[in-house]
Amino acid sequence: MRQLFQTRTLLLLITPALLFLALFFLLPLVFVLADSVRDPGGLTLQRYGDFLAQDQTRSVYFRTLQLGVIVTGLAALMGYPAAYLIARMPANRRALAMSLVILPLLTNPVARTYAWLVILGRNGFFNQTMVGLGLIAEPIRIIYTENAIVIGLLQLFLPLMVLTLVSAMENIPTDVEEAARSLGAGGLQTFLRVILPLSADGLVLGGTLVFTGSITAYVTPAILGGTRVLMLATLLQQRAIALLDWSGATIIAVVMILTTLLINALLRQLRPRSA
Amino acid sequence: MSSRITSVVILALILALVIACAPAPTPAPTAAPPTAAPKPTEAPLNFAGKTLNVSFFAFNVDLINKNINQPFEKKYGAKIVYDTGNNADRLAKLVARKDNPNIDVVAFSTEFLLRAVQAGVIQPYDPAKIKNLDQLYDWAKDPLGNKMGVGYTISGYTMFYREDKVKEPLTSWKDLWRPELKGYISLPDITTTNGPATIALIAKAWGGDLNNDQVAWDKLAELKPSLITAYKNSAELITLVQQDEVWASGYSTFAWGNLLNTKKPLKSVVPKEGLVGFVNTLSVVKGTPNAELAQAYIDFMISQEIQLAEALDLVDSPANKNVKVPADIAAKLTYGDDMIKSLIFLSDQQIADKRQGWIDRWNKLMAK
Repeated sequence: MRQLFQTRTLLLLITPALLFLALFFLLPLVFVLADSVRDPGGLTLQRYGDFLAQDQTRSVYFRTLQLGVIVTGLAALMGYPAAYLIARMPANRRALAMSLVILPLLTNPVARTYAWLVILGRNGFFNQTMVGLGLIAEPIRIIYTENAIVIGLLQLFLPLMVLTLVSAMENIPTDVEEAARSLGAGGLQTFLRVILPLSADGLVLGGTLVFTGSITAYVTPAILGGTRVLMLATLLQQRAIALLDWSGATIIAVVMILTTLLINALLRQLRPRSA
Repeated sequence: MSSRITSVVILALILALVIACAPAPTPAPTAAPPTAAPKPTEAPLNFAGKTLNVSFFAFNVDLINKNINQPFEKKYGAKIVYDTGNNADRLAKLVARKDNPNIDVVAFSTEFLLRAVQAGVIQPYDPAKIKNLDQLYDWAKDPLGNKMGVGYTISGYTMFYREDKVKEPLTSWKDLWRPELKGYISLPDITTTNGPATIALIAKAWGGDLNNDQVAWDKLAELKPSLITAYKNSAELITLVQQDEVWASGYSTFAWGNLLNTKKPLKSVVPKEGLVGFVNTLSVVKGTPNAELAQAYIDFMISQEIQLAEALDLVDSPANKNVKVPADIAAKLTYGDDMIKSLIFLSDQQIADKRQGWIDRWNKLMAK
C-alpha cells in the first residue's frame, strides 16, 4: 500500500515536467519530423538523400562533427583535472570555485564572441603579445579559421563539462581512494580502475552536453568562422533566413537532432560497465 | 550537502544560459499616454477608439512614440500597436496568419515585399486614399508595381576606405583589386541584403550585369585572398574597422554614423557604378478589416511633417521631395540632388530569381 502511494506521488510530481516537455518539445519535434518526410505523393526520404549526396552539405556535416569531437575531447581533457581538484576542496572554497567556473557564461554570448575579434585579430592582444615577446615574426591568422571556432566553443562549453564532472566526483567518497591505495593500487591504477569508472556518468553527460552545444551553436561559428568556415548551424541559418527554405532548414535540424541522439548512445556504450 | 551546492550552481547556470541565449527583448513602444479627445474638426477621418496593428522594423523604437504614435493618435484618434522584428520573421508571421490576419500595415524592404506579394498576403493600396503620394520621389511612389507598397524611406549601398591607408582615392568597385588593399577588404555576406547588390556592382564594374554575372564570379575568385572575411551584419563590420582589420568595404549608409564613431579616418565614396538604393515600403495587409485606417497611416507616414521629424532624428532618409533638412543632417542621410541622381535600383525579381544559385556559388567559392 505504501509502495503504491509512493508511486502515485512520484507520478504526480513528474507530471508537470512531462506535460511541459510533451507539449513544447516532443509534439513540435513530431511535426518537424513528419514535415521532413512528407511529400505530395506520400512519404519520402529524398530530401535526406539530397543532403548526403551534395558535396557541400556533406563536407559541412563532417566538419561540424569533427569540430564537435575536438571540442568535446579538449573539454574532457582540460575539465577533468579541474573538476577533480574542485570536488576535493572544502565546501566553502568549492562554492567559490564553482562561481568562478560559471562566470564566463554570465556574459552576453554576442558580446563575448566579438571580444574574441579583439583578442585573436591580427592587431589583437594575442598577436601583439606574441610578436612583442619575439615568439612569432609577424601576426598569424587565427580569426576566421577552424581554430578560432574551436577556441570560442571551448570557452563557451568547458564550464558545462567541469560542472557535470564535479557533481559526479562529489559523490565518490574519499574513502574509496584510500581503500584502493591501502589494497596496493598505485596512483594510475586507482585513477583508471576506481575514479574514472565512478565518474564515467559525469563524462558521458558532460560530453553529450558539450558535443550537442558545439554542433548546434550558431553565434560563435558565424562570427569566428566568418564566410570561410561553414558549419551546420550557419548553413541552417542561410536556408531559413536568407532563402526562406524551411524544408531545407528542417532537414538540417533533424540531422542535428539525430546526430546528437546517436552520439549520446555511443558515449553510453563507451562507459565502463559498473560492477 | 555538497551535491546540493552543485545542484544549486547547475540550476543557476542553466537559468543563466537560458537568459543569456534568449533573444534580447524588443522594447515594445509604450502606448501613448491618453491625450485629450481629438477634436473632430481637426481630423476629417476619425478612427476614435480603433487600434492599428503595424508590423515594423525594430530600429529606433524609442523615437517612434514622439515622432509617430502621439501625433497619429492626436490626428486620427486611433492607437498604434507594433509587432517588431526583421523582415524574414515578420513575413513568416504574416504567412502563418494569412487567413486571419492580425496585422493591418506592414513595413518591408522591397526584396521582402516581393516575397510577401508572391505569398499573397498584401493587397494593393488605393491612390485616392493616400493624398501625399504626389509629394514622393518617383522611386517611392510604387516601387514594385501594381500598387503593392509605398516607399517611405531609402538607404544607400556604397563603399568607404581608410584615407590614411589608401593613397589614391577609390573611385570604382574595381579599385578593391588594388594590391595595396590585399588582406584588408571586407564585403557583405551573400545572405545579407547587400550581398546580391555587391555581386551586381562587381559585375557592372568589370563589364557585366545581373544577367551576365560570370565575370563577377571570376573576379571574386581573384579577390578571395584579399578578403579578410565577409561580414554578416554592420556590428561585425564596425568591429573589424575598429580593430584596423578592414581598410575598405561596401557598406549600407545606414551604418555610417556608427562607422564614424570608430574615430578612424574613413571616407565614403559613391563610385562610378553608382549608389544602390534600397527602398523600405509600407503596405496594406490582405484581408485586414482596417484598410481605411491602414491607408490613413501610410498617408501620415509619408507626410512632410513626419518625414521631416524622422529625418531630423536621423531615423530615416526622406522619400518626400518637399522635406528640407540642414546641411549637417543631410550629410548623414541619403539626401540631396547629387545623391538622389546617382541612385541606381536593382530588380528585386531578378535578384530573387538568382539568390539561391548565388548562395550556392558563393559557398563553393568562399567556404571550405
